[in-house]
Amino acid sequence: MNLVSQCVSALGCGSHYEFGIEDLCLAKFRLDMHELGERHWCSWEDTVELYGRLTNCTNLVAFKLGCFWPNKLVDDFFIRVHKHYFQDCSLSGRLLKDPPNRILGPFIVVPILVTLLMTGLVVWRSKRSEGIV
Amino acid sequence: MDCTSFFFALSPTARSAKYCGEDGQWFRHPDTNRTWSNYTLCNENTKAKLKSAYILFYMAIVGHALSIASLLISLAIFFYFRSLSCQRITLHKNLFCSFVLNSALTIIYLVAVVNNPPVVARNPVGCKVLHFLHMYMLGCNYFWMLCEGIYLHTLIVVAVFAEEQHLHWYYLLGWGFPLVPASIHAVARKKYFDDNCWMSVETHLLYAVHGPIMAALLVNLFFLLNIIRVLVTKLRDTHRAESNMYMKAVRATLILVPLLGIQFVICPWRPENRLAGEVYEYIMHILMHYQGLLVATIFCFFNGEVQATLKRQWMQYKTQLGQRRKDHCSMRSASYTATSITEEPAFMYHHDCNSEHLNGRRAEDSELVALKLGDMYA
Repeated sequence: MNLVSQCVSALGCGSHYEFGIEDLCLAKFRLDMHELGERHWCSWEDTVELYGRLTNCTNLVAFKLGCFWPNKLVDDFFIRVHKHYFQDCSLSGRLLKDPPNRILGPFIVVPILVTLLMTGLVVWRSKRSEGIV
Repeated sequence: MDCTSFFFALSPTARSAKYCGEDGQWFRHPDTNRTWSNYTLCNENTKAKLKSAYILFYMAIVGHALSIASLLISLAIFFYFRSLSCQRITLHKNLFCSFVLNSALTIIYLVAVVNNPPVVARNPVGCKVLHFLHMYMLGCNYFWMLCEGIYLHTLIVVAVFAEEQHLHWYYLLGWGFPLVPASIHAVARKKYFDDNCWMSVETHLLYAVHGPIMAALLVNLFFLLNIIRVLVTKLRDTHRAESNMYMKAVRATLILVPLLGIQFVICPWRPENRLAGEVYEYIMHILMHYQGLLVATIFCFFNGEVQATLKRQWMQYKTQLGQRRKDHCSMRSASYTATSITEEPAFMYHHDCNSEHLNGRRAEDSELVALKLGDMYA
């Protein structure tokens, strides 16, 4: 890796950077994702580490080449990665969202109803014990 | 895009932005010619907001600490002076216990979880259990307030047949029932919104706990208004001076309002304006975190009966001290008579509990009860 970067550093942040990240970073990522299996590509828990490694790798290459990071090439690179690996994943993904209303509704309405029932029960029982002499 | 993932809830409305130009390129900052995302709004006023957040945090801790101290003193007074004991005081004791536990848990939660990002990042099961207990104690607090309201309502509105009520149902409602909304919330949260330590307040699943609490408060409000109505009509029937009657009714309401936590119902809306929003936050924090102190003060320290008992104890103590000092003067007989004079008859101080021992009296006597109870609130 050091040898390559020494060769390339003299040649700037253009296509050489692109080749750098493709050969050094994407290759490893491809291998890892293949090992993981296509079924798990949309599972964030499984891919977060690999994705993080890929990101760090691009960062490192940029640093070695003396390039800014992030930059346009990295953006394009990741767009391609996403198009290939994460295209069919649901939009919400790892963003936590409330469940749909038909599930949320009962979770809210049932406790309220039970509360009112229980209150009524206590009022009724305390009234009853009043009447008993 | 929300700032919240980087700037934890300091400014929930601030947004970061990245601009897409007409040529399909992201906006480049003119200085460096690099793609640039606008995070300035997230940073805006960060120092001021951080400072404000810390002030509110410490205010909450102080509020709960003061509440715990005053509530423990009140509990000590209630337990030490047996003469004060009766059913209403028993309910007060339970209410105060629930407030103490709630405040203690809140302090633990604030210090150990909210102020501790590494713990939140680690997301241990313990912090979720703590959150569950916090929700449970919050429920207990408001349900014990409801118990007080139901008890007073049964006592006053059904006062004619006032007999010792069975408190089992109140215990069930106050300590047992809050497990239900807390458990439902925990299950729902685990299944559908399992964020770190369940800290997020952005979810409607919280209403599984807050919904029943608000229902309890609304029922309590209804009982309160009914009690006021009964008090006012009964007082009017005895042809008392109107000013006196209204004054007592107003005072009674004002005393019962913090008891019943109605401020929780009336103030859920945060104003958009920055300054008004900050004022709102401070007021809400004071109302929420100093409730225990307020309840202890109003129910114990401002209670005429408690004050009389404490005065009596103080007089006894002073005379005993005086007795010891006079001993060396060999005036023992004089000091014995002095102590017996200062002891006032105990039955005079049972206003609070007297009303409970009426049995099958007529309507006029229930007015007397209402009057006595009106005095009690004064």
